[in-house]
Amino acid sequence: MGSLFSLPVFFIILRETTEAAIIVSVLLAFVKQVIVDDAALLRRLKWHIWIGVLIGLVISLIIGGTFIGLWKSLAKNVFQSSEEIWEGTFALIACIMITVMSLAMLKSQELQEKWRGKLGEAMQNANEKRSVRNLSAKYALLILPMITVLREGLEAMIFVGGVSISCRFLSFNLVQADEWFFFALIGFVIYRGGSRLALHRFFIASTCLLLLIAAGLFAKAINAYEMDKWGKIVGGDADDAGSYDPRGNVWALNYGDPNQPENGGWAFFNSILGWMHVASVGTITGYCVYWLVVILTIVFMKIKGNRARAAASQHTYANEKAVEKTEI
Amino acid sequence: MLASIKSLALLALAATAAQAAVVTYDWNITYVNANPDGLHERRVIGVNGQFPIPTINVTLGDTLVINVINQIDQPTSLHSHGLFQTGNAQFDGPSMVTQCPIPPGANFTYTIPIEQHGTYWIHGHNRGQYVDGLRGPLIIHNTNETYKYDEEYTFALADWYHTEHEIMLEQYLSIFNPSGAEPVPESGLINQRTDTKFNFVPGKTYRLRIINMSALAMFHFYIDGHDMEIIEVDGIDVERKPVTSFYVTAAQRYSVLVKARADASQNFLVHADMDPAMFDVVPPELQLKVQGTIVYSESAPLAPNGVTDEYEPFNDALLVPVVPEATQKPDQIFPLTAAFSVLNDYSNKATFNDITYVMPKVPTLYTALTTGNLSSNPEVYGKYAHPMVVKHNEWVEIIINNDDPGNHPFHLHGHVFQIVGRSTGKYDPASGPYPGYIDSPNPSRRDTVLVPSEENVAIRFKANNPGVWLFHCHIEWHLQAGLATTLIEAPEVMPSVLKIDPTHIEHCKALGIPYRGNAAGNEGLNLDGANIGPDPLPGTFTAKGIVALVFTIISALLGLATVIWYAREDDAHISAQVAQAKNTEEEH
Repeated sequence: MGSLFSLPVFFIILRETTEAAIIVSVLLAFVKQVIVDDAALLRRLKWHIWIGVLIGLVISLIIGGTFIGLWKSLAKNVFQSSEEIWEGTFALIACIMITVMSLAMLKSQELQEKWRGKLGEAMQNANEKRSVRNLSAKYALLILPMITVLREGLEAMIFVGGVSISCRFLSFNLVQADEWFFFALIGFVIYRGGSRLALHRFFIASTCLLLLIAAGLFAKAINAYEMDKWGKIVGGDADDAGSYDPRGNVWALNYGDPNQPENGGWAFFNSILGWMHVASVGTITGYCVYWLVVILTIVFMKIKGNRARAAASQHTYANEKAVEKTEI
Repeated sequence: MLASIKSLALLALAATAAQAAVVTYDWNITYVNANPDGLHERRVIGVNGQFPIPTINVTLGDTLVINVINQIDQPTSLHSHGLFQTGNAQFDGPSMVTQCPIPPGANFTYTIPIEQHGTYWIHGHNRGQYVDGLRGPLIIHNTNETYKYDEEYTFALADWYHTEHEIMLEQYLSIFNPSGAEPVPESGLINQRTDTKFNFVPGKTYRLRIINMSALAMFHFYIDGHDMEIIEVDGIDVERKPVTSFYVTAAQRYSVLVKARADASQNFLVHADMDPAMFDVVPPELQLKVQGTIVYSESAPLAPNGVTDEYEPFNDALLVPVVPEATQKPDQIFPLTAAFSVLNDYSNKATFNDITYVMPKVPTLYTALTTGNLSSNPEVYGKYAHPMVVKHNEWVEIIINNDDPGNHPFHLHGHVFQIVGRSTGKYDPASGPYPGYIDSPNPSRRDTVLVPSEENVAIRFKANNPGVWLFHCHIEWHLQAGLATTLIEAPEVMPSVLKIDPTHIEHCKALGIPYRGNAAGNEGLNLDGANIGPDPLPGTFTAKGIVALVFTIISALLGLATVIWYAREDDAHISAQVAQAKNTEEEH
């Protein structure tokens, strides 16, 4: 692949491209479903969709690539001072980004419903009017996928940038363009090949994994801040001696150091779960508090979602009633 | 050996009956203000209001008497480094090993028969008082010296700190020093000065006695424009060995013969370079290269400075004692591995075989004398005194592994030992016999030996001196960090040979220190209340760790469960839609 493998980055890109692929295929399906008797229009609208996707992809690559480049050079300068405190800050940023994205993606189902609804309306209007005098309606099918892919792509770039900085791999290369294509292909294949249900469950599973990674990053950020503080007290060779602040230490193991090159297994646990062979009251509490905040956020999201759905269904009910009335 | 040394001493006494004298020193241990390096005046420990303390000069066969009055505010004691103290262990000096320390204001008289000759020194042996200045040369002249020379000079080399040792010790042993970095001295001194001068007369032969009284520093010694021959090491006369330079670790001594030049046209520098490898950092203002001057004529110019950073390799195991002593197969072998690590009190401590030395509640010598038959049972001395019990006249071998990146000089009280082996790496007794034996009919002998980093040394001696003898690294910081063991030699013979003066017991009572019984001051083997040292960290999960781990696992599982709970409704929704779509398809 040309770059060091990072599990969080892999999953982020997979998620984003799959999401984009879903949107595109949904649009294609609708168009096919709705435009039944006008083959030329059908072909043109399909073209719109694909062009929109392409433009969105290119723009997002340009913007995102520039962003990552700047971000990396900034981080490189900062890393020269080799302070734990920057490691910690970047881990924290990555943690927040992944958490926000994962939780947002939980709502993807709702979002899909919303898009379906919107698209359905747009299709109805286009169908009824038949003439494409309405510019926005005419190009709706170009603009919508373009914006969608653009948004998805930029999100992915930002998250990848943020997450990759938190890794100690300064030689991380931008995921190549062909890798994007590769991921897009995977996303498409998953969508087409798997059922909607399986896809939904895949998203949930990857949300779980990403949250675990983010929780680990939070603990690691706290650890970095603590090591920075201890290093300043002890005078610099704390890291070499493998020493830690004994006050507030909760466990310190002779084994399981993820930084040792031969401890491949433990390094894996470190990147997925944030495992460290030295833990303090700070890191343990931070880890538990992270999950508490995530739990509360999800519960809050559920409550809000239920309220919105209740309001929407009332609205729909009212509409249907109105339609019935008019029909009658 | 005890018999032969005693008979030798008796012979010497008989031969010099007219000259054998009682040489008395009256020493009030006092605080003095001094500024030996001219950079910083500070409080030091001196004698009779003076610093440096007086040099002790005695002759083989004399009896040395030191009447000590402790006039500082801390308990103190004195150790005559290198003196055998045959049958005289109660005057050896290390606090809580052979005596209770001398209380402030109290008297203590050291009475020491002089049974050997050579270059020695005397220093405080309670806490690190010798670092604060309580140290000086102890020269024992032979009635008939092996080598002929016209005059002699003493070069007492030492490192010097500007801060009192208790303050530095607290920082050294704190939890904020996990790497165990030793305090770095501010300067090096010769005879407690930076500007020493020694007069040489052309054509004369001089004996130079070099003593290293440092807490930490190792010196390389060499003289511009003059050849040196080593003739004595740690009180043992050796066959002449020409050298251009040699190293002296803390507590070691050498004598060299130097022939003065034929003319008085130039003066020359004497070099005592401190080895930077001993220091954690070398601050730019620290002058590693200490110098003195050999003066032929006040007006003569100084010869070009021959200071160098490259020293001729020097192996003290190649020195051949003038009085031969063949080695014998050891009756007991003690492998000891020296290491440093952070222990479970979170301070960086030194260990021998994972045990750090902690002083017992009762001086170890008194335990040996008051526990009857149990005195041969190592348990009675407490685990943390790290007792090594040997029988009278056994041959004892100690193999010292230095499992530390630093170089360590190890010193045995009450004996000289033969250097019978050297090797690199760490010797594990389970792997078979020791591989590094030097096959020599007359091995080199001394009382303080350097074991370089990641190397090992085998030493041997005959247990002919009933008593309790401390074996320890002579870097003072490391001794305080616990790099020591106690040799319990011939406890079955001790009561018939050693008698404790009642005043010593009075001093114990004055300080509230128990003076009878085992390491905890109890009868028998009941060690409840003994001084316990820190132990190595477990390096595994403790109860605290397991609880924490369980909490993290529970939080993660709850979090994931919440995600799945959230998604279940959508999941059901989609299932329904998919089923519906299927039905619709089937209908069509």
